[in-house]
Amino acid sequence: MPNNFALGNEKPWSRRQLLKLGLAGAGVIGAAGLWQMLNLQSKSIVKVPPLDMEAPDDGTNPMKMLRDFDYGTVKQENGRTIREFQLTAGTSIIKLNSAVSYNIWDLNGRIPGPTLRAKQGDRVRVLFLNKAGHSHSLHFHGVHPAEMDGVRPISNGKATIYEFDAEPYGVHLYHCHIEPVTRHIAKGLYGMFIIDPPTPRPPADEIVLVMAGYDVNDDGHNDYYAFNGSPHHYMDHPIPIYQDQLIRLYVLNIIEYDPVVTFHLHANFFDVYRYGMSMTPSEKADVITMGMAERHILEFAFRYPGKYMFHPHQDAIAENGCMGQFEVVAQSKSQKTVNNS
Amino acid sequence: MRKIRYICLTAAAAAIVTLSSCSSTPTAENPSAPVISPQATEAVSENSHSGHAGKEKININSAILSELDKFEAKLGVPALSNKIQAGRPYGSPEDLVTKKVITQEQFDQIKDQVGVQEVVLTGEAKDVDYMSKLGLMKGHLLVAQELLDQNQPKQAEPHIGHPVEEIYVDVEEQLNERKVKEFKTTLVSLQDLVKSNSKDSKVKTNFASSMQSVDGAIAALPAEQRSKPGFVLQVINELLDSANSEYGAAIADGKITAPIEYQDSRGFVVYANDLYKGISSQVAQADPEAHKAIDSSFAELIKVWPAAIPPAKAVKTPNDVTKLVKTIEENSQKVVDKSNTKA
Ligand SMILES: [Cu+2]
Repeated sequence: MPNNFALGNEKPWSRRQLLKLGLAGAGVIGAAGLWQMLNLQSKSIVKVPPLDMEAPDDGTNPMKMLRDFDYGTVKQENGRTIREFQLTAGTSIIKLNSAVSYNIWDLNGRIPGPTLRAKQGDRVRVLFLNKAGHSHSLHFHGVHPAEMDGVRPISNGKATIYEFDAEPYGVHLYHCHIEPVTRHIAKGLYGMFIIDPPTPRPPADEIVLVMAGYDVNDDGHNDYYAFNGSPHHYMDHPIPIYQDQLIRLYVLNIIEYDPVVTFHLHANFFDVYRYGMSMTPSEKADVITMGMAERHILEFAFRYPGKYMFHPHQDAIAENGCMGQFEVVAQSKSQKTVNNS
Repeated sequence: MRKIRYICLTAAAAAIVTLSSCSSTPTAENPSAPVISPQATEAVSENSHSGHAGKEKININSAILSELDKFEAKLGVPALSNKIQAGRPYGSPEDLVTKKVITQEQFDQIKDQVGVQEVVLTGEAKDVDYMSKLGLMKGHLLVAQELLDQNQPKQAEPHIGHPVEEIYVDVEEQLNERKVKEFKTTLVSLQDLVKSNSKDSKVKTNFASSMQSVDGAIAALPAEQRSKPGFVLQVINELLDSANSEYGAAIADGKITAPIEYQDSRGFVVYANDLYKGISSQVAQADPEAHKAIDSSFAELIKVWPAAIPPAKAVKTPNDVTKLVKTIEENSQKVVDKSNTKA
C-alpha cells in the first residue's frame, strides 16, 4: 500500500503532471519556488485529521510539533537561494508529569528545537543567539567547512552566524556541541534538520518524532523519556492519522546515556529510508534499531482503523515516557470531519 | 498551569492553509514569500570586501556594550547599545534597519563600521572579553573550592570541568599573546583527580595551582587597568549577565532544581562582588548616586546565594534577580560612559 502513490518516486515531473497540479502556467518561478509549490501541492492532496491541540504553558506543545516545519526566511543573494533561520538558546521549565518540573535549555522556546527544513543546494544561514547562561553552540550534521562545524563555544549574550550549503539530502540533526555534550543535549539543545531531495518525495502526511531522555538529577541516568519533549503525551493524546493515508515519519533518536533504542510500530510494517538519504527503501521492518543521533524516514499506512502504539522496544524506556499511539481514523469519517469547519 | 486550547482543522483541500496557520514561525513555504533582497546582496559583497577595506568594524552580534557605545555616541540615540544587544541576532548589518533598531538614515551614517562577521577584538574590548572569561573561570573555581571544602567532590567536579569545557578554548590564543603559561593541563588533571580519587592529597595542591593559574592569567593585564572602574564594571556586568541566566535556569516552581546552575551563578556573583569592592571607593567618588545603587543592589543580590549547597526554597525569584542585575548594569553604564569620554 505505501507504494501506491499518485506520483512516481524518482521520475522527474512531466508537463502533464504539472498541468494536473495547475502549475504549468506559473512560468517564470525559479527552481526554489517551484520546489516549494510542488511541496505545497503534494500536501494539498494529503489528508490530515483535525488536531485538538492542548498546549501546556511551557516549552512543550507536542501536538503542534508533529507537523511544524520551519522553512526559514528565503532571500535571494547573488542568484542563490538563502534560507535564513533564527535560533535563540534560552532557559525554561517544563512539566515532566504532574509532580516533576524540570529546567531545560530551549531553542526558540521549545524542546526539541524547531524542525529546520531546506532543499539540497540551498544556502543555509543560521543566526544563533545564546541567552542561556553557559556557553553553547550549534553543530549541524551534514557537509560543511571546518569553521562552520559549530564546536566553538558561543558565550552568553553573544550571537554568531553559521552558513553552509544544504547537502546532502536526508534527515539530519543539529545540537549543541559544548562539553559535557551529554548534558547540553539532554537538557534540550537539539532539533531535526531535514534537507529535502531535489525532486520532492511523494505526497504523504509528514510527521516528526524525536525521542529524548531526561536526567533530572544529573546522575548520568535518564529518569524520563519522551517523544517530542513531553513524556507520555501521545499516549494520552493519540496522534490522529487517516486510514490508508501514506504516513512519512521522520524519526530521530537523541536519547543520551542509553546507547541504543529501537523504534517499534504496532500492527504494521514500515518502509525504511535509512538517514532519509535515498528515494527507495532499504528494507521493511516493524522494529528498527537506532543508536544515538540515528534518524530515518519510516513510511507506512494503516489498513484498519483503531489505536496503535509506537515505542522503543526497550520497554522500561517506553514505560518511562517514550510511548505514544496513532489513532487511525476511518476514511469514511473524513468527510464528516471536514464539515466541522 | 494555564492551558491554551485550540483546534487545528486540517482536511483535504484545507491542508495548506492549516499547515501554515498552525505554525508559529513565519515560514517561506508560501510561494509568494521568496523576495529578492538587494540589501542582503549588498551585504554579501560588502562582507567579502571587508578583508582589505582596512576599516575596523564592530560585530553587532557579539560586541560588548561599551563598544556599541560608539554607535550610540555617533547617532545620539539614548540606550542604543542596549537596543542593539536586545535585537540580536543579526544576519546582516542591514538587519539593524529591518529590525527597526535604527532608521535607514541613521544606518547610512554608521554602516561602514557595522559588521556581523567574526572580528578580532582589539584594545579595551579585547581586554574586557579576556578578563570576563577568566572571571567566569574564577567563579567556577571559587564555588568548586567551597564544595571541596564541604567534602562534596561530586558536586565540585562540574565546576572544575566548566572552565575547560566552555571557556578555555576562547582565551587559548590570547594566553600565548599575553605570555601566560597554558594551564589547560592543570585544570584537566585536577578534574581527572577529583573524578577518580577525590580523597587524594594531591587535590589540594592541584587546586591551589589551578586557582593560581587563573589569577596569573588575570594578572597579565596591567594593574592600572584592573583598578580602573570603567574597565572593571564592564567585566562585572558580563559576569552578572551570565549569573542572571544561570540563576533563571536553576529554579522551577520556586525551588532550586538545578544545583549546578545555582552554584555557577553563585560563583559569578561572588567574584563580581569582590571585583566591585576593589573599585567601589573610586566609583563612589566619581558618581555617588550610581555607587549607591550598585552597592545596595549587590548587597541584595549576594543574599540570594546563602551557601554553595542550595537552600530548600529560592531566596528570590529569577525576575527579582534580573531586576537587580539590570540596576547594576544601568548604573555601571553611566560610570563607563563617563570614563570613556574622559579618555
Ligand atoms: Cu550547550
